Amino acid sequence: MKFLKSFLVVFLIMLPISAFGEKAKTIEELAAMYDSSSCKECHAEIYAQWEQSHHARSLMGVLGGLFMTPLAMKDKTPFSPDDPSKATLDTFPCFKCHLPQAVVSADDSFAVDFANALIAQDKERLGQLRITCIVCHNTKAIIHKRSEGYPEANVLYGSKEVAAHEDARFKKIKKSSIMDHAIMCGQCHGMGPNLEFENPVQCATLYGSYMHNYLSKGGQKSCQECHMQKVDGFADHLIAPNWNDLDATKKLLQEAISLDIDTVGYDWLLKSKDHKPMVVVNTRINQNAGHRIPDG
Amino acid sequence: MTAKTADGKEVYNKERHYHPQATDCRTNKMLYGAQVKTQYIRDTSLQPMETKDESFEIMLPEGVRTVDVTVSLRYEIWKPDHMIEIHKISKKVSLDR
Ligand code: HEC
Ligand code: HEC
Ligand code: HEC
Ligand code: HEC
Ligand code: HEC
Repeated sequence: MKFLKSFLVVFLIMLPISAFGEKAKTIEELAAMYDSSSCKECHAEIYAQWEQSHHARSLMGVLGGLFMTPLAMKDKTPFSPDDPSKATLDTFPCFKCHLPQAVVSADDSFAVDFANALIAQDKERLGQLRITCIVCHNTKAIIHKRSEGYPEANVLYGSKEVAAHEDARFKKIKKSSIMDHAIMCGQCHGMGPNLEFENPVQCATLYGSYMHNYLSKGGQKSCQECHMQKVDGFADHLIAPNWNDLDATKKLLQEAISLDIDTVGYDWLLKSKDHKPMVVVNTRINQNAGHRIPDG
Repeated sequence: MTAKTADGKEVYNKERHYHPQATDCRTNKMLYGAQVKTQYIRDTSLQPMETKDESFEIMLPEGVRTVDVTVSLRYEIWKPDHMIEIHKISKKVSLDR
């Protein structure tokens, strides 16, 4: 009887931990928890688009530069630890948007492993950490946690419900309240300075621009309507621009931004009998995005 | 935008930069880097549904009455030499009819 009772107590304490999963202590553990390679089999087009996207390389999006490296180096930033072995999750406020799974599913030992990998510039290990399918379709899919609860393990969230989803791990898809709304993207695309950290952090502020300077002018499209238009029947997960593909991005920017010029050459009469040879070039630039260009 | 004479001599060269600019509020130095940027102090970026107008007035040197004007609109990614030239418009402008 005594044995059974203590068994029950242990069981009850263990439940909540296993429901949210153990915290990852290494890069490989965190990568495995959010590994989305199983999706490839059935969502091949979407997977291929996502693989080329900035979300799939969220720690080194432009030209492979590991931009968090200074945070792991002593005295280089206000967040830097004295030594990489002293790094904690607080060392990397960037995780909020560049690697949100670290905030919910990793602990300080992960931060030490991560800091050491940055110092070693180990792109192969760090490259496993990405904003995967699971990050958007689970971790970031619920923002009304008091009303709707936390994202459930083994459930995905989409713009509609799928009662029997064929994936081996995620057997169900529930409808997310925000998947087709701008705030889905706004969670990471920034409103201004992030003041919850011990020092201010300001990176993307594009969602702020969208809210205050696009909606205010009557614009009503969501981010998804412009950036995820259907390609072959599926929402485009490349979510362009891809800054490593200069040719494709040049085309997008040419469509988005127009330049017109008008010129005149004449002899300007500055004052009596004093003509000055003058050329005037008037330029006019317009853009059709839903926010400032460039941001940040 | 640049203006050059027929023999290629540059008589005018002006740049306009369109982007939000931030400091850390502790000095007035503009800074890059999310770990220090704290607030925008100025924003010259291209806004949605707004037109950016500029007027460049070029007083030509004595004797020059025709120039080749070139306006180039570029998106710099990280550093000036890694850029996309979005539009480039060239035009010959003369004071004589
Ligand atoms: C064995 C095949 C299979 C695998 C593996 C699979 N899916 Fe699906 N998934 C489907 C099918 C089929 C549908 C369409 C169901 C429907 O529309 O009724 C679907 C639908 C979805 C939807 C659509 C919901 C919406 O809003 O329309 C999402 C999101 C999704 N899958 C995500 C994923 C992710 C993420 C993974 C990997 C973790 C994954 N799927 C793995 C077969 C699969
Ligand atoms: C509020 C969310 C958020 C936070 C916090 C954040 N970032 Fe970002 N960051 C983004 C988004 C979104 C982009 C891409 C979109 C853009 O550039 O407008 C981005 C882009 C970048 C880029 C340019 C892309 C690249 O791969 O070179 C760098 C560099 C960067 N962030 C560094 C950092 C650093 C360093 C930190 C932490 C000190 C940080 N960011 C914190 C959201 C954030
Ligand atoms: C989990 C946080 C997160 C969410 C959610 C998110 N993004 Fe991003 N996004 C990022 C980060 C971080 C980057 C930059 C990664 C890098 O380049 O280093 C990025 C890059 C991009 C880029 C590439 C351009 C650039 O300057 O880097 C576009 C476009 C983009 N996101 C649009 C969207 C849209 C549209 C949505 C909503 C459907 C969305 N994002 C949702 C974090 C997020
Ligand atoms: C940056 C966040 C983000 C990432 C990463 C992401 N998705 Fe999505 N996904 C969305 C959003 C937002 C929608 C809804 C688009 C809409 O409604 O216009 C969506 C829609 C879908 C749909 C329904 C598509 C349709 O047109 O019916 C499927 C299936 C899907 N995603 C699968 C995946 C898979 C598989 C991956 C990984 C390879 C993935 N997603 C990665 C944000 C994301
Ligand atoms: C009305 C259409 C439209 C809407 C709405 C829109 N975008 Fe954009 N966005 C564009 C265009 C056009 C560009 C520039 C050309 C391109 O790269 O596709 C762009 C560029 C971007 C970039 C690169 C910015 C840079 O610094 O150069 C990011 C990141 C981005 N959008 C994210 C978003 C997010 C997040 C939302 C929603 C909050 C959103 N967009 C809403 C059309 C739109």
